[in-house]
Amino acid sequence: MKVLPPTLRENKRYLAFELIAEGQVSRDELIREIFSASGSLLGDLGSSECNIWLFEFEDLKGVISCDRDHVWQTRAVLATISSIKGKKVILHVLGVSGTVLGATKKYLEGADIFNPKEQSHINE
Amino acid sequence: MARPKFYDLNVHTAPEGKNTIEEMVPLAKRFGYAGVAVTDPSNSCKPLRSAVTDGFEIISGVELSPENASKLHGLVGKYRQMVDVVVVRGGSESINRAAVENSNVDVLSNFGSMKENGLNHVLAKSASDNDVAISFDLYDIIYLRGGRRVKALSNFRKDLSLVRKYDVPFILTSNARSLYDLRAPRELMALASLFGMTREEALHGLSVVPQRILARNCPPANYVMDGVEIVDPSEGGCDQ
Repeated sequence: MKVLPPTLRENKRYLAFELIAEGQVSRDELIREIFSASGSLLGDLGSSECNIWLFEFEDLKGVISCDRDHVWQTRAVLATISSIKGKKVILHVLGVSGTVLGATKKYLEGADIFNPKEQSHINE
Repeated sequence: MARPKFYDLNVHTAPEGKNTIEEMVPLAKRFGYAGVAVTDPSNSCKPLRSAVTDGFEIISGVELSPENASKLHGLVGKYRQMVDVVVVRGGSESINRAAVENSNVDVLSNFGSMKENGLNHVLAKSASDNDVAISFDLYDIIYLRGGRRVKALSNFRKDLSLVRKYDVPFILTSNARSLYDLRAPRELMALASLFGMTREEALHGLSVVPQRILARNCPPANYVMDGVEIVDPSEGGCDQ
């Protein structure tokens, strides 16, 4: 298969995110929830335009790619995710970048994932 | 440009909500808010005092759900001196009407998204004249699915057109009832863009209007009243 020349490839944005969750969430569960949220909010047509894809996900942080012109719709989809398999979650977008490397380096490396339980201990 | 200061002026804490303010503040901070207003119902507990801890503002507020319009004015008068943000939970036509006509009310929330009780031109004009902010509760868009969300979105779109026409102040809020209901300011902007709100308008609703409400209710120490200023005689402010 021929790879498209760079100018003809679709332009993407990469969203670095953290998942603030009650417990551990697996990659497959998150993918299923993202597609269900996207299908529910945007429908098949809107989802195809947004082209949301879970690029990587490990230890409650990861990168989601989407179409360059639909970043705000993607963010809205991600904001409507409220629970995965009965565990409450918030998907918090840390930053948007034009490359995977940029998103990972700038927003994910060395970033601590927010853990509500630890935080409340500190306060006690 | 300086970083805008974001506020969520309608957050519920325990016992009305699920989490205490101590649990919610670190997350709100993480999301980049400059402050949140705790607006628990008047009958659940005494409103807390406004405080600033580590640069984060916890603002005292109250959410009033009066049984009828005549009780509303009494309640507003009672709480106006105690708290910085007075939110009225609307619903019926008469309460909505009374709330937007009372300039001591800061925010009208849950004014009904059904056809019969929603925002109309009369309420919008009155809200604009009395500087009562309308709140877009994005909680519904996050949690509802299917037909009910369709309805909520189309109502918000209709409300937004009235807001634009009559220049009504408005705020965006997550109306959070627990830790996991909070959303970051940019996520709220994205949700608001679903019903046609522009980035500038959303910024206005998350930052400019809340700051104006707070400035109005927490005046600086030497404030007397509108248009009156204490002039230091030693500076020769007025010549004799």
